[in-house]
Amino acid sequence: MIEFKNVRSIYKRNNHVALDDVSFRIEDGEFVFIVGHSGAGKTTMTKLLLREMVPTSGSITVNNYNLKKMPKFKVAKYRRSLGVVFQDFKLFPQKTVYENVAFAMQVVGTPKALIARRVPAILKSMGLIDKAKNIPEELSGGEQQRVAIARAIANTPDIIIADEPTGNIDPQMAAEIMELLVWINQKFGKTVVVVTHAENLVNTYQNRVIRLDHGKVTSDRVGGMFE
Amino acid sequence: MNNNMTHKKQPQKMKKSYNPFMFIGEAFKNLWRDRVMSTASILVLASCLVLLGCFSLLVVNININMNRLVSLNEIVVFVDYDLPPEQVEIIGQRIRVLDNVETIEFISKDSGLDSMKEDYAGFEDVFDSMKESGDNPLSDSFRIKYKDNSKVTTLDYNLRQIEGVRKVNNRLDLATSLENFKNGISVIFIGFLAVLFIVSVFIIINTIKLAVNSHMEEIRVMKYIGASDWFIVVPYIIEGTIIGIFSSVIAYLAQWYVYFSLEKMVATDIKMVELMSFGDIGGIVALSFLAVGIITGVVGSCISLHKNLQA
Repeated sequence: MIEFKNVRSIYKRNNHVALDDVSFRIEDGEFVFIVGHSGAGKTTMTKLLLREMVPTSGSITVNNYNLKKMPKFKVAKYRRSLGVVFQDFKLFPQKTVYENVAFAMQVVGTPKALIARRVPAILKSMGLIDKAKNIPEELSGGEQQRVAIARAIANTPDIIIADEPTGNIDPQMAAEIMELLVWINQKFGKTVVVVTHAENLVNTYQNRVIRLDHGKVTSDRVGGMFE
Repeated sequence: MNNNMTHKKQPQKMKKSYNPFMFIGEAFKNLWRDRVMSTASILVLASCLVLLGCFSLLVVNININMNRLVSLNEIVVFVDYDLPPEQVEIIGQRIRVLDNVETIEFISKDSGLDSMKEDYAGFEDVFDSMKESGDNPLSDSFRIKYKDNSKVTTLDYNLRQIEGVRKVNNRLDLATSLENFKNGISVIFIGFLAVLFIVSVFIIINTIKLAVNSHMEEIRVMKYIGASDWFIVVPYIIEGTIIGIFSSVIAYLAQWYVYFSLEKMVATDIKMVELMSFGDIGGIVALSFLAVGIITGVVGSCISLHKNLQA
């Protein structure tokens, strides 16, 4: 569950109000698009969800973690309950596909034997088993994003946050990536939050769409469109 | 879409397992991956250590040689004229037990006259007639070498208190000047050494910072996927330690070669200078290099990481 309650976020440096009185609640297992044009507050919202920053006022609760009151030493544990997918993939360039996925599990102290069992299974399900020994630069953008998704789900998080996941890949690959996220949502019941400004993708799926504009939620509807 | 992913939820209380060899492996991988930067760090650290080592050994050897120079000073004590030999012997015994006396040599008035005769060639007749007529104007004396130059004033005072002592000749002014010179040189050189140490540490830390900064993006990603600070820090600490160890080994070998060559040169060509044997100080040099190398390597890594861990 993700809950924003009257969240206001102001950048102290220039007093810019990035989010203004934002409230919404996302239930477990939902698939939600957060949309908006450049400067709408999407990046700030992602940063808040990743606990890179804390809101100026209001409260954010994710998986029973109160992000505003969370002490610094608990942030790592909190982030392990999330799976994060970035526009620029953020894979480790020197590690192979296998190592990139395995590393996410090593970080949380998963036993070696379990890693050895799970990683091939995940790569197989993502259609990446043949690429296990390749390094990211040997893969296409779509493949790299699939590796990023594989890494995001490696620790079976409850929530997947995808920040512009199709921003760096061609339209056909973008559709595949979206299919993959939908599949993860439907098959495993994971909450998936996709932050995007890709109009066509949002309109194709017609899921719940939370629209941001100048830091405010201007619409929140199930079966919504990018208007 | 392949549906055979075994995506079961992990047990809530999964026993965490962190393999220490994984961290060591990661550290070596990092070193190899950034081998140019790692080599630069090792060479900079080794160069600074050699520079520090050379300077420290210079200070130690200057100190030794200055001490030797200062210790050339001696005091000559003249007893009263025509004292019977038994009383001269008693004076000798009283001098021997004084604090700070290292050696004492008795010079009879006759041998004093003989050495004067040698010093004033051409006037041998004068000295011979003095000896034959029994008109030796000299008195018996003692030549004393002392241990500690800083206590020479006390020794001088104690000698003057002995009954039968007529005159005490010392080179107190020269000794004090040499001592002051030695202390001044030591202070200046130790000051230089401290500045050099600080500059070296600064250079080393900055070099390692550059290496760690090149991993900034990687550290950010690790933070995003939930790596704890210690999980991120440990490989870099190990990396810093490895850099420190490699650097200190290289520095030790270089120091040994330079010093050994110098020792050989001094032994054959500049005999008046005395150098400490490398065998006597090799252990301390090795330990110091290792300690400075590891500490600066680790501190450099920690300082650089601290900034990157704030995200």
